[in-house]
This record gives sequence, C-alpha cells and structure tokens, in this order.
Amino acid sequence: MHGAKKPMLSRLVIESFLRQRRRKLLACVAILLGATAVTAMLAIGTSVGDKMNHELAAYGANIVVYPAADTLDVQVGGIDIRPATAGNYLNEADLAKIKNIFWRNNVENISPELPLPVSLKTRDGVRQVPATGYWFHHTLRSGNESWTMGAPALHPWWRIAGAWPDDGSRDEIAIGNELARTLHVRVGDTVQVNNASLRVTGIISSGDATDRTLLVPLAVAQQWLGRPGAVRRAYVSALTKPEDALARKDPDKLSPKMRDRWYCSPYANSIAYQIEETLPHTRAEQIRRIAQGEGTILSRISGLMWLVALAALFAAGLAVAASMTTAIVERRQEIGLMRALGATRGVIAALFFAEIALLALGGGLLGFLLGSLLAGRIGQEVFGSSIAFNPTILPATLLLAIVVSLAGGAPSVWQAMRMEPAAILREEA
Amino acid sequence: MTHGLSLPLLLRRSLFHRRSRSLAELVALTVSAAVATALLTLYASLDLKLHHQFRAFGANIVITSQNQSGSTDSSAALPADALAIARAAAGPESRVVPFAYAVAEMQDGSSIVVVGADLNGVRAMDSWWQVSRWPDLNTPSEHALDSGGQVPLQVLTGVRAEKALGATRFPLSYSGRTVQLETAGTLRTGDAEDSRIYLPLSAFEAWTGVSPTTLEIRAAGNTQQIQEVLARLRQALPGADVHAVHQLVEAEANVVSRTRSLMLSSLLLISLTVAICVLATLTASVFERRRDFAVMKALGATQHQVGLLFFLEAIALALAGVVCGYVLGCGIAYLIGEWNFHTIIFPVWRIVPQVALLNLLVAILAAAVPLRILRRLEPAALLRGD
Repeated sequence: MHGAKKPMLSRLVIESFLRQRRRKLLACVAILLGATAVTAMLAIGTSVGDKMNHELAAYGANIVVYPAADTLDVQVGGIDIRPATAGNYLNEADLAKIKNIFWRNNVENISPELPLPVSLKTRDGVRQVPATGYWFHHTLRSGNESWTMGAPALHPWWRIAGAWPDDGSRDEIAIGNELARTLHVRVGDTVQVNNASLRVTGIISSGDATDRTLLVPLAVAQQWLGRPGAVRRAYVSALTKPEDALARKDPDKLSPKMRDRWYCSPYANSIAYQIEETLPHTRAEQIRRIAQGEGTILSRISGLMWLVALAALFAAGLAVAASMTTAIVERRQEIGLMRALGATRGVIAALFFAEIALLALGGGLLGFLLGSLLAGRIGQEVFGSSIAFNPTILPATLLLAIVVSLAGGAPSVWQAMRMEPAAILREEA
Repeated sequence: MTHGLSLPLLLRRSLFHRRSRSLAELVALTVSAAVATALLTLYASLDLKLHHQFRAFGANIVITSQNQSGSTDSSAALPADALAIARAAAGPESRVVPFAYAVAEMQDGSSIVVVGADLNGVRAMDSWWQVSRWPDLNTPSEHALDSGGQVPLQVLTGVRAEKALGATRFPLSYSGRTVQLETAGTLRTGDAEDSRIYLPLSAFEAWTGVSPTTLEIRAAGNTQQIQEVLARLRQALPGADVHAVHQLVEAEANVVSRTRSLMLSSLLLISLTVAICVLATLTASVFERRRDFAVMKALGATQHQVGLLFFLEAIALALAGVVCGYVLGCGIAYLIGEWNFHTIIFPVWRIVPQVALLNLLVAILAAAVPLRILRRLEPAALLRGD
C-alpha cells in the first residue's frame, strides 16, 4: 500500500464508492433530501420578501405626485370638491419621465387622475356628478421600452361588469355601481354628459367613493376641462424596501457617502425624492398608510420564513448526520478488515472522508437542482410566478452538505478505528 | 418464548438494556415531534398573528350615512346614537372612531377641510400618522370657543394646509362663525389628510354644529370574523352605508393565505427530512442489534414476534417523543413568536393528536425498512461468529 499510495487510495475510493450501493442508499437519500430542503427553503426565504412586496404593491399606490404650487385638496369622503379650475396641474407627457429615475425598474404602475364635476342629464333634469379621468390600459413609452399602466392594475379590488373604456376613445365611459343604480343605467346604455353622448362600457363596484362617480379616459376629462395634457395628481406604485433608520433621514443633511447610500436604496422616500428631481415643480410624497404598513408585514413574513428555513437547516443536518452514522456502523467490518491488513488509521480516515465528501458533493449538487425546481414549483403554486433560479445558494448548500456529512460520519469512523479489528471481524455474518 | 418472558417484560428489557441506543432513537423521535409541534403551532397561530399585523393599515370598515350616494353633499349626519350602536355591534376588540367634516373658509376666502375626530382613537388606530405634537386634549375646548378668540383652539394641521395658511395662529370661518385656531402640531400622511385641519370632536361640534358623518372601524380578527362584524353592523344600523375597505381586506386575505401555503409546504418538506433522520436512527438500531434478534429467532421466536417487539419499541419511543417534543416544540414556537411577532404564541392543544399521529406514522414507516433487513437475517450465519 505504501509504494503507490495516491493512485491506490483514489482507486480504493472509487471502488468503495461504487460498490455496496444499498448500504449507501440511505445516506445518499438523506443528503439529497437535506440539500433539497435547504435549497428550497433558502430560495423561498430569500425571495419571499420580493414576492410579498409584489402582492402588497398591487394593493394600492405608495407614492403620490402632485404639483408643488397646488392649492389645497378639498376632499371629503374620497371625492374632491375643489373647483376644477383652481390649482395647478401636472403635465401628462411628463409622467413617462418617472420611468427614467434611478429606481425605474421598481416603479410598477403609474396612475394619473383628473377629477372634475360634470353635468349629467337624467330623467329629472341635469345633475352635477363627480367624474374622474384615468388611464385604463395606457401604453407608456420611454426609449425603446413600453409598459401598460393605469387605474385597474392599481385597484385590483375594483370589480367591473362589462369592460373598461378604451383609452383612445372619445365616447366610452364607465360608471360607479351606486350611481348606476340611482340612474337606472346598464352596460351598453348611453348617457348624456356635458352635452356629449357616451356609451357605458362597464359598471364598477369598488366599495369606496368611486362607486358614486363617472370614470372616463383621461383625454376625455382633459377635453371637458379644456386643458389638454392636464393631470391633477398621479399615484405611483413602487417596490420599496421597508423603512429603517436611514430611510427617515433628510438626504440634504446627510454626508455625501450616506446620501449615496440613501439615494441608492429603494425606500419610498428616496424614490419620491428621485421623482421630484426628474419632474421639476412637483411634490412626491410617500403615502404613509401603505408604506408604513407594508414594511411591518414584509419584515414579519420574511422573518418567519427565515426561521422556518433555519428549522429546515437543522432538520437536514440532523438527518444527514444520523444516516452517516448508520452508514459507517454498517461498514465497520470493512474498517476492521483494512486494519487487519495493515492499513494505517490515516489511510482509512482519508478513504472514508474522501468517500463521504464525494457523496456529499454529488448529493448536494443534485439536491440543489431538485430544491431549485421545488422552490420554483412552490412559487408557481403560491404566488403564480416562479421563484428565480438562485446560483448563490449552491456554495452554501454544498458546503453545508460536506461539513454536516463529515461531522456526522466522523464519530462512527473514529469509534470503528478504536475497536480491535479482531472483535469487529468476529461479528461478521 | 417461555411464559416468563412476556412481551411487556421483553419490551421493557429491550428498551432499558442498551440505554444509549434507546436514547438516540428517543432523541430522533423527540426532534421529529418538536419540529412538527413548532410548525403546526405556528401554522395554527399564523392567521391571528398576521391579521394582528394588518392593524397597522388602520380602519377596515367604514360607515357613512346612506343618503349621500350620487351627490357631492357628504354632510348628512349619522343618527346621534350611531357611535354607541356601532361600538356595541363591533365588539370590545374593535375600535370605532367618529369623524365629522366641514369645509371652512380661510381668511383669503379659499376652502379648507376641517375635521372633528376622536383624536385619541385616531392616534391608536392610524399608527402611520406622523405628528410632531398631538394637541393637548385636557384643556377644555369649549372655553376656547367662548373666550372670543383670546385663547385659540389647539388643532392638528396637515403639512400642506400649514403651508397654505402661512401662520400657526389663524382664523377660520364656517357659516358665518369665525374662530381662532392655533397649530399644536403638524400632521404628515402623504394623503388627503395633509390638506386638512383636525380638532377634537366636541370643539368641532360646538363650533360648526356638524355631527359625525363617518365612523371608521378597525375590526379585529381574520377575514371571516371581519365579515361577521360587517353583518352585525349592517343589521344594527340599517339606515347607514356599511362597507368594508376592499383594498385592505383583500390584500390581507391574499397575503395571509399565501403565507399559510408557504408554511404548509415548508412543514411537509421539513417533516420528510426529519422522517429520514428517524429512519436512519432506527436502521442503525436494528443493525447494532441483529445478533439479539438472531438469538431470539434461534430460540424459536417467529418473524412476527420479533417484528412486533421492534414495532412496539418504536411506538413506545414515538409516544415518549411526542411528550418531550411537544414541550420542546411549544418552547420553539414561543421563542419564534417573541422574536418575530413580538407577541406570545401560546401552546395549541388541538394539534396534539396531529403531532402524535405524525410521529407514529414516521416511526412505523421508519421501522418497516429495517425490519426487511431483519427478515433476511439467517440466525445460524450470524451466530456462527461467536
């Protein structure tokens, strides 16, 4: 054994690795399953924040943009009763610039609004009702890219019977269900608004003040107001990082280095700041009700999933260690035989540990692939979107598989080597 | 087997003879029960804990008077006893906050929304309100109104309103009655509140004569419990418009159900991993004791008897594991509750049968594999070595 130690040892490892597969089956399955569980849980743990962020972002804007020199909102019960001519407006064409800010990819939706009172002809005469101009499925272009944005995506809880008006049309309108009920209007009917005939394409039920308003394409509202391109305010839904101590700082009072960090973190505040930079004469504010609540929920859920991932890690480590112990116990005779044939303890340890490491490497790799697949599948089931393949988990999984397997196998290997070869061999069946 | 060696006696001897081996099995089965207990306890309390977190979003039910539909006039007041009725119907765990609105006139003639509200209630319900200082609610506001402007009324002014007003002391008039107000603190929410002025309800009513038009309610509990509160409120206040804040209720239901699904997948995955751990331990145990079993077989025990003994052992250890694991698992769930949710997660008794069943299932399945090894054992071949 001495002369050709290295080739002999590698041959021994390979031989030993390939033979007696049944005895190694359990250890293989344990490593495979452990690596799968760890990979899947780590993948879920790292992506659950993003996924839940998407879920919450869908339920309302977290930033509002309005003209800096605007008069006060006179909003009661969700309806703006300020005279339509008062105050300043944003320019609709400028909104595309929001997709040019540093965190442009975090901006999921932009929804402009232009509220104004209109005269609606009813059976009992002409009545003043609130109307709002929206984007419904507006195509926003910036450079070579384009996105579909508008109010329906920002308000997923709005239910529509019928269809949304077409953004380009001049004679389509949607109507809130309470207003529709008092007017006895159904989908397909025609209503007379500001002396124009509009076809009702859909009836909205929102559970809020929108139920008592008319919803028209933005261009139609602008035409009624006589101000092309005017927007009263725009709501922005952005993926943000939960607020921490740094987020609450005033960027103009930070040191240049800290300011960069603040600027390059996707806080609601820094995204609002960047919008103000891009659109001069505007104010962008985080809507604290949404932004603050989201932060708490997100940190709780990701915290929970990390703790569960930790439990998976622990369980996997235990399973691998236990099955390694079993595998070595079953192979005690081999150790006894080798010792009887004159192999030194170092050689035996090298042989077994090389074999365990090989097993852990293979099992870890396969487990990583399976775990990634599983995480993708779980993401698909739970969130309707796959969890992206994350190669950064691979080193962690492999390292863990090897360390835990070696640690699990070591006590049994040492124990077997301390025993008298004769005593072990006598047990041989 | 002789009569002297009954099965219970054999079982006892077998369990206590090699303590370290039994201990290893017990540890594995305790871990499996503890993990199941912790995850099931978390799963069972998740609903409540997450719904609790959604308190941060404020009111989930809004009551307004019904006759405002289709018009821009929102000054129709709720019945005088609406607040008391709503509080009774919503239950003690829910919070009900009344709001009254009026459009007042600034000195330059432009409009501003003034809101009378139960400011203590607002403070507790709307945690996202960023307020520099809350008005002192102990000073009698009626006195301020009667003093003829000598003592201004302390109010909360929205940041946009403050900018428009330009001063911390200012007069506002509502239907011909002018009062002096003073900003006690500024309010920032990023929403419509920034353009408004908030003052205590009693002072607001004394000034404007307008009664509450809106009740905002934070109903406690999960989606189903909120629906029940909603139904009770509709029944108690038939003349009012009671509706859920869909934005919040739907987001809440959505996030909670997704988190539950994630927890369930994790639970299954981790249980499977733990089962492997138990399987490995039991296999090692059979292997170490194959000579004991060979002796039993040589002495005339049937395959069934040996198998039964081994199964009973696994079951006894599994049940002991449930007891230890339940205690341990409740401790883990408690710690996770403390760390993550900052509340206590109490032990859930109704999961005990599930944990026991799961642990027995794992033990029996794990015992079945090594038993196949036992069946193939040739007593003669094994014992020849001695």
